[in-house]
Amino acid sequence: MTLRRTIEAVTQLAAKGGVANYAIAGAIAALNYIEPMLTEDLDILISVDGFEKRSSGLLLLGPIEKALADMGYTERTNVGYKIEGWPVQFLPVSSPLDEEALEQAIEIDVAGKGEAHLKARCLRAEHVVAIALKVGRLKDLARIQAFLEQDAVDLKRLKNVLERHNLMGAWKEFCIKAAIKNPLGTG
Amino acid sequence: MMSGKQYPDNSEIFARKAEGRRERARLTFAEKLAAMDALRERVAPIVRAREARRRGNKFPATP
Repeated sequence: MTLRRTIEAVTQLAAKGGVANYAIAGAIAALNYIEPMLTEDLDILISVDGFEKRSSGLLLLGPIEKALADMGYTERTNVGYKIEGWPVQFLPVSSPLDEEALEQAIEIDVAGKGEAHLKARCLRAEHVVAIALKVGRLKDLARIQAFLEQDAVDLKRLKNVLERHNLMGAWKEFCIKAAIKNPLGTG
Repeated sequence: MMSGKQYPDNSEIFARKAEGRRERARLTFAEKLAAMDALRERVAPIVRAREARRRGNKFPATP
């Protein structure tokens, strides 16, 4: 039961059509760029195509549940579906930022040395940072700081994303909270 | 109030720590996944204790 196997199961779910489009998000996506930090679950950003939407706006993830059950994963926890020992949270796209992040996700190789190649989709660094900024919990802000300290995000690309999604105000507030000079150089 | 006492300069220690973080950031994704599995295993007893505590809080013992 390893995170690699969990990701492999997600790729199989996508290959079977259980989700139309997906990308690793949150702390595990951040892992592709910064040092490992503890997390309790794997977030998977998914497109909303093919899911039934209630009038309340609630999205029914029944097709995912069914596809997972067909693969033998029937256990649920309070933080998501248990896949190969890790809780997996499927997060439907809920904003234009999410949509762009999912569209522009990159393919990464999850395989270790000597293992067969395993490609999975993962959010770009600038989108991981922008989404963390938007969510704005203390742990998200700490993650942004880690990206900056470890030179793990392209500042020009980040600035473009933040401007496109009206997040420059939130960015300036983050810089004040973190007591850092704005690295995007916008005052 | 300044005491006049001499304190050591820890900036070199912090710089080394930052360099360590940058080095770990350069590991491959697969290496980091393995690190996450190990990290999760190490904190599992703490997580279990936290969950037990939460369950205890949900159903507090009646006096």
